[in-house]
Amino acid sequence: MLQSIRERAQGWIAWVIVVLIAIPFALWGIDSYFQGGGKTVVASVAGQDIARSDFERQLQNTRMMLREQLGAAYDPALIDDGDLRREVLESMIRDLLLLERSHQMGLRASNDEIRIAIMTNPAFQVDGRFGKEAYERTLSIQGLSPAQFEARLRQRLVGSQLERAVRASELVTEAELDEALRLLGQEREVRFLRIEAAELGSDEPFSEAEIAAYYDAHGARFEVPEQVKLEYLLLDEEAIAAAAPPPSDAELRQRYEAEQARFGEPERRVVRHILVAIPGDAEDGEAQARQAAESARERILAGEPFEDVARAVSVDAESAANGGLIGEIQAGLMDASFDAAAFELPQGEVSAPVRTPFGYHLILVDEIKSASVEPFEEVRDQLVAEAAEQQIEALYYDWAERLATMTYEAADTLAPAAEALGLEIQSSDWVPRTGGEGLLGHPRVISAAFSDEVVREGLNSELIEPERGRFQAIVLRVTDHRDATVHPLADVREEIVAALREERAQRAAVARADELIARLEQGASLEDVAGDWPVSASRTVGRNAPGLPDEVRALAFDLPRPGDDGASYGRVALLDGDVAVVAVTQVIDGTGEDLGPAQRVQEADALGGLIARGYFDQMLADMAARAEIERNLGDAGSGADE
Amino acid sequence: MAQYETDEEKVEAIKQWWKENGLAVAAGLVFGLVAVFGWRAWQDHQENRAQQASATFEQLLAVASRSDADAAAASQLTKRLHEDFGGTPYAALGSLVMARVALAGDDREAAKEALGQAIDEAPDPALADIAALRLARILIDEQDLEGADAILAGLDAGGAFAGEIAALRGDIAAARGDLEGARTAYREALASGASQAQLIEIKLANLPAAG
Repeated sequence: MLQSIRERAQGWIAWVIVVLIAIPFALWGIDSYFQGGGKTVVASVAGQDIARSDFERQLQNTRMMLREQLGAAYDPALIDDGDLRREVLESMIRDLLLLERSHQMGLRASNDEIRIAIMTNPAFQVDGRFGKEAYERTLSIQGLSPAQFEARLRQRLVGSQLERAVRASELVTEAELDEALRLLGQEREVRFLRIEAAELGSDEPFSEAEIAAYYDAHGARFEVPEQVKLEYLLLDEEAIAAAAPPPSDAELRQRYEAEQARFGEPERRVVRHILVAIPGDAEDGEAQARQAAESARERILAGEPFEDVARAVSVDAESAANGGLIGEIQAGLMDASFDAAAFELPQGEVSAPVRTPFGYHLILVDEIKSASVEPFEEVRDQLVAEAAEQQIEALYYDWAERLATMTYEAADTLAPAAEALGLEIQSSDWVPRTGGEGLLGHPRVISAAFSDEVVREGLNSELIEPERGRFQAIVLRVTDHRDATVHPLADVREEIVAALREERAQRAAVARADELIARLEQGASLEDVAGDWPVSASRTVGRNAPGLPDEVRALAFDLPRPGDDGASYGRVALLDGDVAVVAVTQVIDGTGEDLGPAQRVQEADALGGLIARGYFDQMLADMAARAEIERNLGDAGSGADE
Repeated sequence: MAQYETDEEKVEAIKQWWKENGLAVAAGLVFGLVAVFGWRAWQDHQENRAQQASATFEQLLAVASRSDADAAAASQLTKRLHEDFGGTPYAALGSLVMARVALAGDDREAAKEALGQAIDEAPDPALADIAALRLARILIDEQDLEGADAILAGLDAGGAFAGEIAALRGDIAAARGDLEGARTAYREALASGASQAQLIEIKLANLPAAG
């Protein structure tokens, strides 16, 4: 048989096969043989797959974004991972669907658009202009070739085009705008009467059956959350300061000596100078200048005032105008040779010519302000505080490391670590899952305290550092644990009776309110029916204006429009248990008359934006309903990450 | 295949076969290559055309986004999208944008015509629905309630746009003074997830009391 295969393989059939194999290579390249297969897929949208690796990367990016946005408030333990995964997947599905549909429809991004998008991206700009090198460098950091990046950009542009088209084409008719202005700018004239529930209550007792029914119906209210009693070691600044010896006087002295400059002011001198420049063109310029300086010095020694000579001779025009005055200097400000001469010179004496890069100077010291130093006793407290801070910084990380190691190695007790570090084992009262006081209320601490290893297995927690950047670490263990329970009926009986009383009073108030409304609707006025209850003054309010209780305002805008001379009435329970009877006597529609044409356009754009957003969301929903979408998130991997 | 005795016989047989079939084979090859390369050239051409259309449409978006949109320029660009790029989706998108520009310039007839065109040419049914909803809104604004009703009747009242359709039915009923009908329609709109829920609730609360 092999023989016949061999023979045929040399015949024309072989050639046909070779050609058939070659065609796909020629048309689609070798890539198509390596793509697909072996990838796990979390979702597929109209035949396009979302690979698990892409999904995980997107999830990671989202987490990083959350961390950046929330800053210190970010705590992975507080974000439901399952929800986050589903949200990220849904958003990826939406993006892919939009992209897929846009592509199928025939939407494309032109090369010009891509070029413009790249050229105007600030990340690729150097001094406000596009830089090819910056572009390539930025891409290589992201591990992308220009072709890959441009392909992605093309996708992004195509994906956004449909949305921009729907938004930019939204129109708002005059009638719609007028209606929106009329309704949103509406004001209503409102009065209300407060029926005080407390006055309508009675002391009549409740039957056991009623109490039991309330207890059964409000189970959640009488639940006691899961609780733990904790033992913990707290490593903080105080603990370190208490355990470490305070710095000795000798140490403090040493510190004081070493940092003398901080505790006083160095010597300062008020100086004048005369500058003679060295002519650059003359061969013996150096000597000439020196000569000129010497002769100026002699004029001063002969009795001419330094100031006058400075004005006449010095080439430093600014100081020359002031009689050569430079002002107050301290060592280090001027050229080294100038400094050396100026700080050697006795007051009132003219120096010999001093050579600096500028030329020859004659220097005169007007005044010497000697150095002053704060005495050791006065800065002692400051030194102690600084020493303590440095000590804490130096010791904290070492101690935290040791604390973590020791509580990990002896995982069922805190005692060895406490002894070795001189920390005191502190214990707490019951701490509920909702959080305790102070540090024991911190989400990181709570999530550690209620973790499985700590509660079920009785192990020490890991080292927890609640706030980044603070010298504070805690290791805890659970000494006692209570599952969530429900208070027995006997314990909460009084609470229930009080609640039932309140309910009964409010029911009575509601019934009374309904009676009053019936009379009001037959033509009685609020004052007629009010009796002793307070009636508010009439007020005209807008939808969001403050001043009325929220419940009253909400009801006032929910009541139907009153007839011409009438009013519409309703009742609403207030937060404090009372019931309000609300009357709307007039509705004043918004007119939009105070809007200029430009503002009108703005309002219309805002309204159009809202409408367009709704349309676009519904368009996506419509596309999703038509497309074949499979989700396969599974549970694999969830919880195992982070 | 039959066995051949000698090489000469083989050569002879091949020559014979080629004489009989050579033309057909060559024609087949040529035809195949032309088909393959023709197809690719056609695709490139289509891709190019779509990209040009996209660039033209972006110009139109830029014109339309100015507050004093130049209706003449927009109309010129829309015309070009229809004439030069008729087969692309950009013709319909251009009509959608043109409708807004025309309405802003108070040219209602042009706006309605553009929306009608967008409905006919829409590359996706959802876009046709959006164009139809907008057309109905313009008709309501003109008090052509019958016309608006007819357009809404042609839409799928059970799909993703159900809420929007019900909300417009509410507007139509309210304009006719049919308060009960308006109330029912607005409630239906809220129940099926209309996007402007807050505004619809306010409209509902502001219908005059029954009776």
